[in-house]
Amino acid sequence: MGEIRIARQSDYDLFSPTTPIVIDNGGSTFRIGWAGESDPRIMFRNVAFRPRHRSTGETVTVVGEHDPALFKYFDCTRSSWRSPFDNNVVYQFEIMEYVLDYGFDRLGASSSMAGKVDHPILMTECICNPVYSRAKMAELLFETYGVPSVAFGVDAAFSYKYNQNLGICAEDGIALSIGFMTTHSIPILKGEPLPEGSCRTNVGGYHVTNYLKEVLSLKYPYHAPSITWEKAEELKREHCYVAPDYPSELQIFKKETKEAEEKKWVWQLPWVPPPQEELPSEEELARKAAIKEKQGQRLREMAAAKRSQKITDLENELHVLETLLSQLDEAELPEVASSILARSGYLSRQEIESAHSRVSQSLRKARGEPAVTVEENTDTATSADKYPLVSIPDEMLTPDQLKEKKRQIFLKTTSEGRLRAKQKRAEEEMMRERQNQLEEGRRLENPELYLEELRAKYKELSEKIDQRKRLKTNGNGNGNGNGTGNGNNVSGGTGRGERLNAAQRERMRLLTTALFDKGKGEDTFGLKDEDWQLYKLMSKDTDDDDDDVVNPDEAELERVAAKLQEFDPSFVGRAEAELMQSTQEPPRPRALTAEDYQVVLGVERFRCPEVLFQPGMIGEYQAGIDEIVSHSLRRLPNLDSSIKDRMCQSIIVTGGGSLLPGLEQRLETGIRATRPYLSPLKIVRAVDSVMDAWRGASVYAASELFSTQTFSLEDYNEKGEDWLKRCNIVYSLYD
Amino acid sequence: MEADVVRSEMVLPPVMPFKRVQMGDKYQKGQSRGRYWKHLKQLLQAENFISLPLDEPNYLNIESPPSMYPSKKYCDITGFEAPYVDPRTKLRYADPEVFKRVRNLPNEHVQRYLALRNAAVIIR
Repeated sequence: MGEIRIARQSDYDLFSPTTPIVIDNGGSTFRIGWAGESDPRIMFRNVAFRPRHRSTGETVTVVGEHDPALFKYFDCTRSSWRSPFDNNVVYQFEIMEYVLDYGFDRLGASSSMAGKVDHPILMTECICNPVYSRAKMAELLFETYGVPSVAFGVDAAFSYKYNQNLGICAEDGIALSIGFMTTHSIPILKGEPLPEGSCRTNVGGYHVTNYLKEVLSLKYPYHAPSITWEKAEELKREHCYVAPDYPSELQIFKKETKEAEEKKWVWQLPWVPPPQEELPSEEELARKAAIKEKQGQRLREMAAAKRSQKITDLENELHVLETLLSQLDEAELPEVASSILARSGYLSRQEIESAHSRVSQSLRKARGEPAVTVEENTDTATSADKYPLVSIPDEMLTPDQLKEKKRQIFLKTTSEGRLRAKQKRAEEEMMRERQNQLEEGRRLENPELYLEELRAKYKELSEKIDQRKRLKTNGNGNGNGNGTGNGNNVSGGTGRGERLNAAQRERMRLLTTALFDKGKGEDTFGLKDEDWQLYKLMSKDTDDDDDDVVNPDEAELERVAAKLQEFDPSFVGRAEAELMQSTQEPPRPRALTAEDYQVVLGVERFRCPEVLFQPGMIGEYQAGIDEIVSHSLRRLPNLDSSIKDRMCQSIIVTGGGSLLPGLEQRLETGIRATRPYLSPLKIVRAVDSVMDAWRGASVYAASELFSTQTFSLEDYNEKGEDWLKRCNIVYSLYD
Repeated sequence: MEADVVRSEMVLPPVMPFKRVQMGDKYQKGQSRGRYWKHLKQLLQAENFISLPLDEPNYLNIESPPSMYPSKKYCDITGFEAPYVDPRTKLRYADPEVFKRVRNLPNEHVQRYLALRNAAVIIR
């Protein structure tokens, strides 16, 4: 199974038109070959895919599995792998046609010049196939492929016949066929299947694989992309088994005994360890240090150049100002002075002087000399001079001067405010310094006690914050949960949190009073603009009122956390602790190890095949595959119990799903529970569960009487659909 | 077509010599063919099994009845027996550590676990 490249057969023309072609049209695999041969020539997955070819833009069809690397030429996003089956019935005949095209083509039909497929066809279907599906299939074969005659048979019955001829089972028995989407139990009497006694349950290999894939993807979400359908099938095929007794097997794993450890299987995903940082050699270090030195040097030079540039600029400016001042001093006449002032752009001599002092101060700073703070004091001292208009009452001033006065008042208050703020900050700094020193002193004298105190304080603070947060989100969550109905806060009913919290109670009160209006029975809410302020009052989203209360606590918490981090070696931050608990992925800060890239199959190994026996695990409320045997026997009330006993001694398990180890043993216990005490029971697996259906069909088609069982297009047209419904082949042709 | 695609012959050629009617003629380009085919449910409705005699086996007749055994409840996450159900998410869990994991699951995972069991509420 799973050949990537199927070679086209070249001997199509060697077969005479009487040789039937045998097709096992299975839910998972399509097998086609010549009647009489022991193996089908061509086998592939029964799916088709219609991607768009990137360079030409046309939509092409691809059938079966192919080399995944070639799919890069196609745009595979818009289309997906489609199967012609819905459950176990063919419904999509366009895809069926693609599959048949591919099958016939690979069988070599393209080399024939006949213009049609000129061989009778024997095709498998499920038991009690709806007649619509059968009719459409017959139509497809007759009209599109020009097939002369067609016969349909049940794959499980063919498998049984084949095994019967090998002596594995008797003439009367039960065929239990575990397919892709369904499992059938078909009683066989005298070599013929009894449809009235057959029973179907809708679990099969597909459900087991899907369950495995989903469970692993959810357990290891980080590796979900690696857990593809193909990989899940591979894991299922290689490592899944059926537990002889499910509850006790679960107990083994729950207790985590050594047996459980042995039964676990670990799938190591490809993983590249991060490259070890080689310790740089001596030369490397020296070279790097030299480069850094050079860079530092360059930067320093640039800074020095800039500084000297700035100094020269400032000096120039200073020079200009000084000349201005000297000019003003020299000017004897006020007009000369004012003209000089007008030209320079300064309004008064004071301005020039203040500019001068500013520039000289910055020059001094640039040169690296201590700044002279004398200027500040002089400023405050001359505040009265600076704002001369402030003290003069309003009536005595002209409008211009009034404006000037307003400006000066503004300047004065702002500068005073700034001073005050600076002083306050200085005070706070000093206080903090003092506190730190006190704490340091305390720590040094008694480190243990100090740490204890810190830890206790930390715990207290974090609890307080958590509680407040919980109250807040509980109230909010309940409210929001009711409104939207999804998310993690799906709580039942109106939350208790809404009634308990004082804020919530207030909100409720506001809401209800808003509804009951003040008017005469009419709802006048909203007519006045002030009404909407109500929402501001009761808005839950405003954090304003909370912020002032919470912040000091949180700030304190931060400080304590920082201290603890410094001194306490065993301290783990709150945020980090949460991170370690909550994520299922490997937390990133830690270095990734080989273990993070392992997928452990422990319980899943037998949990997934259990779906066959307990379909309730995936939500299908039907019987398990062991139970349907008893159902199918019960549907044959007319049969003698001795016949039923004989049947139970020859139960064949066939179909792809039956390859799981431990299946027969489990089936035996299951079926024995439904049979009378000590009645005989024998369950055998088919010789080749996967291929026997095709082989049985091949033997059947090769027998001489096969042509009596087929029907042609004329038959179909004459006799109609009703006849087709009842048209079933006789299986015991060649006994 | 690229060389290796041609070599692998993975694409079906548009004309097959053994067919009487080619795909291109049968299915015109641009028509949506998805809705053309009846799904199984519609097929079965059309079959009208009710009018047929009851003792004749047909596709629906042979379906299995519900199981005789009461369904055991297994933990959604670990697979062990699960005596408890989380009221908030309706997931089944086996013991307190698993409960912690259940509560920490993102909502998407919760829905997927429920969907595995066919118990997810689908809101359209």
